[in-house]
Amino acid sequence: MKLAVWGALARGVVLESIRRKDLWVVAILGFVIMLSAGALGFFGAQGLQVFVKDLAVTVLGLFSTIVAILTTCRLMPEEVKNRTLYPLLSRPIDRFDLLFGKLIGAVLVSWIAFLALAALTSIALLNFGVRFDLLMAQYVLGKMMGLVVVCAVSFTLSLFMTPSAAATLSVILAFGSTMIVRGLVMGYEQASPAIQPLFKFLNAILPQYGLFDLGGRTANIDWGPVPAWVLGALLAYMVTYSGAMLAIGWAKFRKQAI
Amino acid sequence: MALAIECRDLTIRYRQKSGAFVEAVRDLSFSVKPGEVVGFLGPNGAGKSSTLKALMGFVQPIAGLCRVFGEPAGGVSAKRRIGYLPEVALYYPFLTPLETLTLYGQLQGLRGRQLRSEAHDLLDLLGISHVAGKQNRTLSKGMLQRVGIAQSLLGSPDLLVLDEITSGLDPVGRRELRTLLKSRRDEGTTLFFSSHELAEVEMLCDRILVIHRGRLVEERLVSTLKDQLRRHSITYSGRVSMVGLTDELTEIAPGTVTAVFETKEALLVAIERVQGSGQILDIVSREGSLEDYFVDTIQGAA
Repeated sequence: MKLAVWGALARGVVLESIRRKDLWVVAILGFVIMLSAGALGFFGAQGLQVFVKDLAVTVLGLFSTIVAILTTCRLMPEEVKNRTLYPLLSRPIDRFDLLFGKLIGAVLVSWIAFLALAALTSIALLNFGVRFDLLMAQYVLGKMMGLVVVCAVSFTLSLFMTPSAAATLSVILAFGSTMIVRGLVMGYEQASPAIQPLFKFLNAILPQYGLFDLGGRTANIDWGPVPAWVLGALLAYMVTYSGAMLAIGWAKFRKQAI
Repeated sequence: MALAIECRDLTIRYRQKSGAFVEAVRDLSFSVKPGEVVGFLGPNGAGKSSTLKALMGFVQPIAGLCRVFGEPAGGVSAKRRIGYLPEVALYYPFLTPLETLTLYGQLQGLRGRQLRSEAHDLLDLLGISHVAGKQNRTLSKGMLQRVGIAQSLLGSPDLLVLDEITSGLDPVGRRELRTLLKSRRDEGTTLFFSSHELAEVEMLCDRILVIHRGRLVEERLVSTLKDQLRRHSITYSGRVSMVGLTDELTEIAPGTVTAVFETKEALLVAIERVQGSGQILDIVSREGSLEDYFVDTIQGAA
């Protein structure tokens, strides 16, 4: 029963996103990737595998994250603004089901965008003799898990603030998290023992997007795949962090007047 | 048997942007029996939509209780038996009416062939099957209202809660909707709706509730009210006594008087008296205006 409800809600989100032409950015970017690959090949960039792979994973990471944030941040605010929430919530479902189904839809949209781009990029990389190997597969898997966390954070933020504010904060967290975490570590090392727990706490509550990014490892020719337990740990972190985000969102939304 | 709707001492409060609280509904108590058709009337801002939202669990009352068929309002068990039409809803602009009904039907618990056949039947019933494959954003306001009505009927609910039912519908659409709602009523569905269209209320309702500034100010049976509002008058010449029948006498010309009566019985007695010693010039029996009643009630409560 619950699965059918979540499935119906997620399907609605995906259909709307596709028809709204949100994913055109993917098509345009895919075209740019293929064009760039052709141009690099034409100018004799063969052999620059590290550069090309680095560029590819950077572009992939950047655009799939932006699609995920923009899709997710407006989902619930638009439901409220357009009052489509009323007929939804008049159905025999509870508010948690609504949030969860919508979040699944947002994740699916970001996965579709990412996988489409990843497929095009893989084809383009073939031009440079780069084959889709196990490490690349691990990169894709890691990125997909990272996108779940990105969506969960953006989704929850959008329940507390305006869509633009939620998108801005999500972008800062998504692209600045590595820098913020580095700053926290430095701060921790410099701080007095009394203050150090604060840095630990801040580090713990911030989304650790950097953990999911195997892009640097993928770009490096000499590095091999990560052990399976790493992916298992990432999965556990994804489930825990996204679950916590959803719980916070639900705590806000479950009694909210609409 | 549990009441279809039971609200007791319901109080709903909103927080404004300034931080101040405003009470939209205060100590509101009423009930609706299964199978009844009840109109919920009141001027703009009276608290009608807030009450309907409390019934659906969209807002949490700060005091009092709301039950639907004995279940707490807003709970999954209660919502399973309700079809709801919001006052304004856009529905998903990039989905088609068929996809919209399929989505809501799945959330309602309908599946497979049953869902498909019910969705198509409702599209036919509401006269929108020809636009079943067009995206909602391309539909007119009236068509969207029909999509909204169709979604509220999914799963054949025992209680229909309709907020401003005729909004956006043309006269033909209104008549069709009236027929549809009457057929649902005849099948035993309870109807509870708010409307500004007093004609609709008069034609559909068994009972009306009038709310003003969040409080219930009148509760009347429509049949009794219509009798009370009906006005009878006779215009006659000659010297005829109307003692005991009415005090409302107006001399419209020398020797010509118009007398107004509250009941048909009084009018009949008056006719007999005039026939005995005067001459009847005109007899008028006129339906009273629900609009006048509504305005008088609201002004009286203000």
